[in-house]
Amino acid sequence: MNTSQNIITFLSRQAVTAATPMILAGVGELVGELSGVINIGIEGAMLMGCIAAYTVTGVTGHGTVGLLAAGATGMVMAVIFAAATVWGRADQIVAGTAMDLLGVGLSGMIWMMYQNWRENLGFSTALPHGSGFSPVVIPLLHEIPYLGPALFEQYMLCYLTMCLCVVAWWTLNHTRLGLIIRALGDAPEACHAAGVRVRLGRSLCLLFAGACAGAAGAYLSIMQTHAFASDMTGGEGFVVLALVIFGRWKLPGLVGGCLFFGLINSLQQTLQTARYTSQNTALHALTHVPFQFFQMLPYVAAIAALAIMSRKSPGPRYINIPWPSTKT
Amino acid sequence: MMIRRLFQRMCNAATAVTLAVLVCGAVLTLAIGAAALLGYPPLRVAVLWLHGAAGSWYALSSSCADACPLLLTGLAAGVAFRAGVLNIGAQGQFLMGALVAVALSTRMMICHQPVLVIPLALIGGALAGGMWGLIAQYLERYRSVPVVLSTILLNFVALYLAEAALQGPLQAVGTAAAQSPEIAGKYWLPLFVAYTDFHIGIILALVLAVLLWVLQERTVFGFESQVVGLNPGTAKAMRMPVTWRQFQIMFISGGCAGLGGAIQVLGQVHFMTAHMGNYGYAGIAVALLGRLNPLGIIFSAGFFGFLDTGAFRVEESSLALPHDMANVIKAVVILVMLVLAGISLRRSRRVGNPGSSAPTETPSA
Amino acid sequence: MATPPLALKLTGIRKIFNGIAALDNVSLDVAAGSVHGILGENGAGKTTLMNIIAGLIRPDSGSMEVMGTSLPAGGVRASRARGIGMVHQHFKLVDNQSVLDNIVLAVSKSLWSRRPQTVLRDIEHWCHELKWTVDLQTPVGELGVGQQQRVEIIKALCGGGRILILDEPTAALTPAEVDELALAVAGLAKAGMTVLFISHKLHEVTQMCQVISILRRGKLVYSGGVADLSVEQIAEKMVGAKVDVPRLVQAQGNTKSHALLELESVDYRISKRTPLILKQIHLRVHPGEILGIAGVDGNGQSELAAVISGAVIATAGRIMRSGAANADAPAGSAYIPEDRHKEALVLALPIVANLLLRKYRQRPFVRWGFCRFGQWRGHATNLVRKYDIRCRDVDDAVGTLSGGNQQKVVLARELSDLPELILAVNPTRGLDVGATAFVLRQLLDARTRGAGVLLIHGDLDELLSVSDRVAVMSGGKLLETPWPHSTPEQIGRMMLGGA
Repeated sequence: MNTSQNIITFLSRQAVTAATPMILAGVGELVGELSGVINIGIEGAMLMGCIAAYTVTGVTGHGTVGLLAAGATGMVMAVIFAAATVWGRADQIVAGTAMDLLGVGLSGMIWMMYQNWRENLGFSTALPHGSGFSPVVIPLLHEIPYLGPALFEQYMLCYLTMCLCVVAWWTLNHTRLGLIIRALGDAPEACHAAGVRVRLGRSLCLLFAGACAGAAGAYLSIMQTHAFASDMTGGEGFVVLALVIFGRWKLPGLVGGCLFFGLINSLQQTLQTARYTSQNTALHALTHVPFQFFQMLPYVAAIAALAIMSRKSPGPRYINIPWPSTKT
Repeated sequence: MMIRRLFQRMCNAATAVTLAVLVCGAVLTLAIGAAALLGYPPLRVAVLWLHGAAGSWYALSSSCADACPLLLTGLAAGVAFRAGVLNIGAQGQFLMGALVAVALSTRMMICHQPVLVIPLALIGGALAGGMWGLIAQYLERYRSVPVVLSTILLNFVALYLAEAALQGPLQAVGTAAAQSPEIAGKYWLPLFVAYTDFHIGIILALVLAVLLWVLQERTVFGFESQVVGLNPGTAKAMRMPVTWRQFQIMFISGGCAGLGGAIQVLGQVHFMTAHMGNYGYAGIAVALLGRLNPLGIIFSAGFFGFLDTGAFRVEESSLALPHDMANVIKAVVILVMLVLAGISLRRSRRVGNPGSSAPTETPSA
Repeated sequence: MATPPLALKLTGIRKIFNGIAALDNVSLDVAAGSVHGILGENGAGKTTLMNIIAGLIRPDSGSMEVMGTSLPAGGVRASRARGIGMVHQHFKLVDNQSVLDNIVLAVSKSLWSRRPQTVLRDIEHWCHELKWTVDLQTPVGELGVGQQQRVEIIKALCGGGRILILDEPTAALTPAEVDELALAVAGLAKAGMTVLFISHKLHEVTQMCQVISILRRGKLVYSGGVADLSVEQIAEKMVGAKVDVPRLVQAQGNTKSHALLELESVDYRISKRTPLILKQIHLRVHPGEILGIAGVDGNGQSELAAVISGAVIATAGRIMRSGAANADAPAGSAYIPEDRHKEALVLALPIVANLLLRKYRQRPFVRWGFCRFGQWRGHATNLVRKYDIRCRDVDDAVGTLSGGNQQKVVLARELSDLPELILAVNPTRGLDVGATAFVLRQLLDARTRGAGVLLIHGDLDELLSVSDRVAVMSGGKLLETPWPHSTPEQIGRMMLGGA
């Protein structure tokens, strides 16, 4: 009895921890896509957030400053992307690929330069003690059986993400601002005729998305781990894109998909060690499977999730169509 | 009349080339300037870069050899994008091609004559890349999975698959790393200039580029794939085999990327690890800079090859400017070319021409 | 005698698009409480002028005054604040949002509230005034065109509307709906609203307006009382020169000979879960006749065209062409689609390529799989000359041509091989009188040489002027009419019945 509760608690807690950066980046991307801009470059923005948070925290010694720097960096990436796609009418998909390249390249550069610089000064590159974040336990609530620890023993940013989800859901569905955002992607001519400045609106949505992606990157480098590696986002940005589609451009679907994904990820990681230590013969048989097959499970699951949705889901109609469009 | 048309076409080509050259020059200057801001002496950076890329025959051959996989992934992206197939999976197709080529020339050899093994490995690599791409196209056509996403996700699947294979049946003896055994010397792609990096894979890639140019610009197949890419609705109305063309293009695209991996492994590095550079993604930049035209892609691949090789030289030197700078430059080039393309496309669609009757549709402002 | 205050005063408005003056020094006075008609053919500049008044476009020069105080140009919000509301020709509605959401989006100023009380009261007030009932929760996409227009009108009036601009409001309405609109407009004018009514249809404007202004090629050529001019004078001022509008001289019913196209009990639905869009369609097209299909948009016309052109497959029934059942469209049939940008042309490709889209696989134009561009160019040059396509060079992108010339490219390609069967859907959409006449003449010429034409058209007048027989699409069913032995009003009534 107790072991099963332990397993559920453990897995669910891992799932929420793993899902948080995806949900955070996902909310931003959802808002961006609803306004008509698809940003494949979330991965690049997240990586930039990772490196920004790590280096700024390392230098200043304060995690909060690092987090803010990450958000700001994400917004800078968003400015570049918005300038190219919304104002410069570039193809959004290819521009997104460029932002990925940019993010990977820049973050790699900064990492090398940071390492050199710190070594030259005689400092280590590890985060100063106490500057990174640790989980914050909410008293009382975290003792709820089964799901308590999952929801109430998380990093501060996780709780902020939960609040952000609620606020975003409310705004998108129950305010005029939400109407405007959704109309930007579904019928920009209606917005224009109503006096809403389409390009400005889309740029603001992209800025929000950039801040979210940057913060998600900070989560990875100064909370979940206290390190930086050039592939630390591991394709999560792309999975988020798939999950937005999978959730049919609605927030609950996106959150559900991210949680499910986090679950698969934590399951896959647990299995990698559990198959050796467990007494269960079925699990033990899995030791013959190379561990990379576990690693690829989440991506296969993402593809499968998209494939299972049998019909094309109705996304915003004007995605990847710059404004003003030259349609008659 | 013919002369005027020829002249016009040369002017168009010249403008495209000039544009590309200007963009590259501007971006490079900005890069050197940025380097200066970061504290690296700009003149020395530029000199080292040039020297590293083209300062000697060996350096030149290095640049060309580095340009070779870029040319092939660039062709992959160019052929696909022109037909409206958003294949972002060249990275995974490249890996699959390299994997199959390594397998066919080390552990799973069918015969032992180099004259058979080498072509077999190359063809096998190309087929592997083509089929990896077809998975995504199949998912798009029959399960409505956007090919953009599936190709990217398949890149990761390919990465782990390759790693698993390289730590399993294709693992080199005596190491625990995900690494293949070294390919025996007689199965390497022969060099056409001794003591350099000029291997015949480079020639193969150039020939392929020319063939693809002919296919794209001069054949019915190329015309149809262009229409399919520009306006699938009209293509369908004109009874063009849209789906069939898309599958064919994806196969060719994946095949080019796979061939790139195979040539890289047989001609340049001679063994394989799971991380073989980001040629797949860089290919997109190459294709855009080359305006999706195979001949242009030859030159942009060369430019990027020079860029990369020079960047490594700069990194190795005492300056230690990270080679990732080259990636940043590639990204900026993509963005600039895209914006210019977007602006010029809007101009070419403007309604209302001085020679026609009064405009009947006022443009939306 | 004190002159009543001017609701709107425009002075010297000028707007240039791509080097052509869309509006050339237009000055206009609009009296308060009047119904003021703006007449002109397609492309004369009416919509541009109205867009400037409504604030969507900024003029290059000129000034505007509302009720004596100047109005800064180029802001929708500013115009709205002065009471100017516009109902556009192509509705600016968000299809998957509700009626209320659409109105709130356009009218409200706050970012927060989704159901502000002020807007709700406004809507109630106008519904009461106009005696309309509108369900606020329905998604706009599910409403018929007439209902959608009502939403647009309420949207324009809310928030203190004093000047209402209606741009080609009757284009997609049935005759009965047009009458209802006329009543509403008259009622609004009586209540003190100023209405600007844009149209290219003479009889409607003369019926509804007291004052008219006529634009031609960007210039104002007349502004004054509607009773002061005869209909012919107005028409001449609109067009500038006499244009020969082709008309059918004598309907010929060639129903004895074999049918070029026959539909038998054709049904169509998108998927098993959606209702039938086409219900038991029977039709036959014979050689040497034009069969016109009238109907309000949204009653299945697009789907009928799609089924006949082969874009979709009918769910039930048989389609026979020249005798062969369900044969794929043979070489002898032509298709002039409704949306030429989506189905007939590739805008980024040169005119040459577009002209060859049907023939690039055929013998003189291809050899061993290679395109023979020399042959392409020769053929294209011939067509350009024959169909008088105004372009600078045959290698220019088709997107640089005007709408009329683009349609000529489509016609040249589809009709130059003298096809037996022609399917044309809304072929004169957005074209000026000259281009419209050209298109209709081409169809009549084809009919004269023995081809069969199936013409699905939203403009009832044009349809009736060229068709031998007329059928009506209503609610997915095809109803025969006794045309030419019936009146347009009778056909209009059939268009409404069962919708």
